[in-house]
Amino acid sequence: MSKGLSLFFLFLLSVTAHAEYWPAEQWSTAPAISGPALQTLETYAFPPRDDATRKGIRTDALLVIRDGQLIYERYAGPTTAQTPHLTWSISKSLMATVLGVAYGEGLFKLQDPALKFYPPLQKHPAITMADLLHWASGLDWQEAYEYAPLKSSVVAMLYTRGHQDMADFTAGHKEYAQPGQAFRYSSGDSNLLAAALKNIVGPARYADYPWTALFEPLGIRKAVWEADATGTFVASSYAYLTARDLARIGWLMARDGRWRDRQLLPKDWVAFNREPFAHYRAHQDDTVPGGQWWLNRAADGAPRPWPDAPDDTFAALGHWGQAMYVIPSEHLVIVRYGDDRDDSYQHNELLKLALKAFAGKVQP
Amino acid sequence: MNRVVRRRPFSTLLLVLLLALFGWGWHERVALWAFPDIISAYTAKEYCSCRYVMNNAAEYCHGYVKQWLPTSGFTDDPASKRVTVSSMGRSNSASWVGEHQGCRLNP
Repeated sequence: MSKGLSLFFLFLLSVTAHAEYWPAEQWSTAPAISGPALQTLETYAFPPRDDATRKGIRTDALLVIRDGQLIYERYAGPTTAQTPHLTWSISKSLMATVLGVAYGEGLFKLQDPALKFYPPLQKHPAITMADLLHWASGLDWQEAYEYAPLKSSVVAMLYTRGHQDMADFTAGHKEYAQPGQAFRYSSGDSNLLAAALKNIVGPARYADYPWTALFEPLGIRKAVWEADATGTFVASSYAYLTARDLARIGWLMARDGRWRDRQLLPKDWVAFNREPFAHYRAHQDDTVPGGQWWLNRAADGAPRPWPDAPDDTFAALGHWGQAMYVIPSEHLVIVRYGDDRDDSYQHNELLKLALKAFAGKVQP
Repeated sequence: MNRVVRRRPFSTLLLVLLLALFGWGWHERVALWAFPDIISAYTAKEYCSCRYVMNNAAEYCHGYVKQWLPTSGFTDDPASKRVTVSSMGRSNSASWVGEHQGCRLNP
C-alpha cells in the first residue's frame, strides 16, 4: 500500500473518530443500555408512585444524552415525551442562556449597570448585570416558599402583590448588602434580568427573542414561557419544555456554547456561567452558584456538593425536583423531571447511580 | 403604674400583648392584606398551566394543585380556558393567553 493511500485511510479513520452527533428533528438513539446498574438506577428513580400522600421520590421523566445521542428515557405519572413540563427554577439558567445569545450579539457587557436597561432600578444604581447573574444584587429578598408564606418574597411576587410586574416588585426591595458583595438566592434577581433583556434586545424583538435566539436554532418546537402582565418573562419560574428539548440546552452547554458549527454562546459567556461566584461562602446554599447555573465545585473550604459526580458537573435546578445535570468530561446530559413534595430525592444519589449506568463507555 | 401592674398583672400582660400584636399587624399590614389571596391565586394559576400548558388531565391537575387549605369555589371554563378559584374569602382567576405565553394570573 502506498504511503499516500495509508495516510488517506488514517484521515478517514480520524474523521469517523471525530464524527459528532447532533439532534435534528429528533435525537438519534444509541443502542439501549441494560443490566444491574440500570436496574438500580430505575429502582431509585421510579419507586411505586404515591399520588394520594405525594410522599417519596416521584420522578416524571428521566432522560440521558451521551455523546449527542439519546441513550435512555423513561416517563412516569402523567408525563410523556410530548409533555412540556414545568421547569420551575431551571428557567433561570434558560434565561441566562438566552442572555448569552444577546451577549454574543454585543448588546451588553457583564459590568454594565442593570439600571442602564431597567430604569426602575434607579434606587440601586450600583447593581451590575454580573451581580444579578450571581444572585448578588444585595436586595433584601426572602426566597422561602411554603413554610413562611407571609414573609416570602417569591410567593408575593408570583401570586399576590408582585404578579403584575415582578421586576418592579423586586426593585422595590431595600438593600441589605453592597451589590456584588454577598450571595443570596433570589428569584427577584432573575426576573430583573428578564426585564433588562427587554431593553437589551429592544421591545420589538423581546416577545419572540427566546424562540428566535435560542429555541429555534436548537430545533426546540414546543417551548412555553409565561410572562407577567407587562410581558416580562417569568425567568425565575415559568418555562416549560419537553425533557428531550431541555436536553438540547444541556448539550449546547456541554459543547461550550457551540451548536453544530455555530458558536451560539460566546465561550467566555459559558466560562462565566461555570465560574463560582467569588464571594460565595460555604453552606450558603446546597450547591455552588455560578452565573445562574449551579456548580459541583469545592468552594470556600467546603468540599464539592455532589462527591459522587465529577467536579466539572454543573446543573440547572428547580423546585419539586426538577434538574438538568451537564457533565462535559463524561459527555453526558441528564434531565430529571419530578413532582417531589418532600426531600427524599437526592441529587448526589441520582448522579452516582446514573454515572454507574452510563459513564465511562464513551467512544474515543 | 407599678401599683396597676401589681393589682392587675394579667390584664396588664394581656394589654401589652395586644398592643404588640396590633403593632406587628400594622407593621406587616401589606403582607397580611395580601395573604388570603395566596391559595386561590396559586390554585388558579398552577391549575391553568397544568391543564392547558402541560396538557394533563383535569383529575390529575386537581390533585397536583391541592394545598393544606381548602378552596371553596372552583370553575374551569374550557371554552375560554379560564380558571377561577375562591378561598379564604378571596377569588382569583387565571387565563390561557397563547401557545408561547401559556397561562397568566388575571389582574
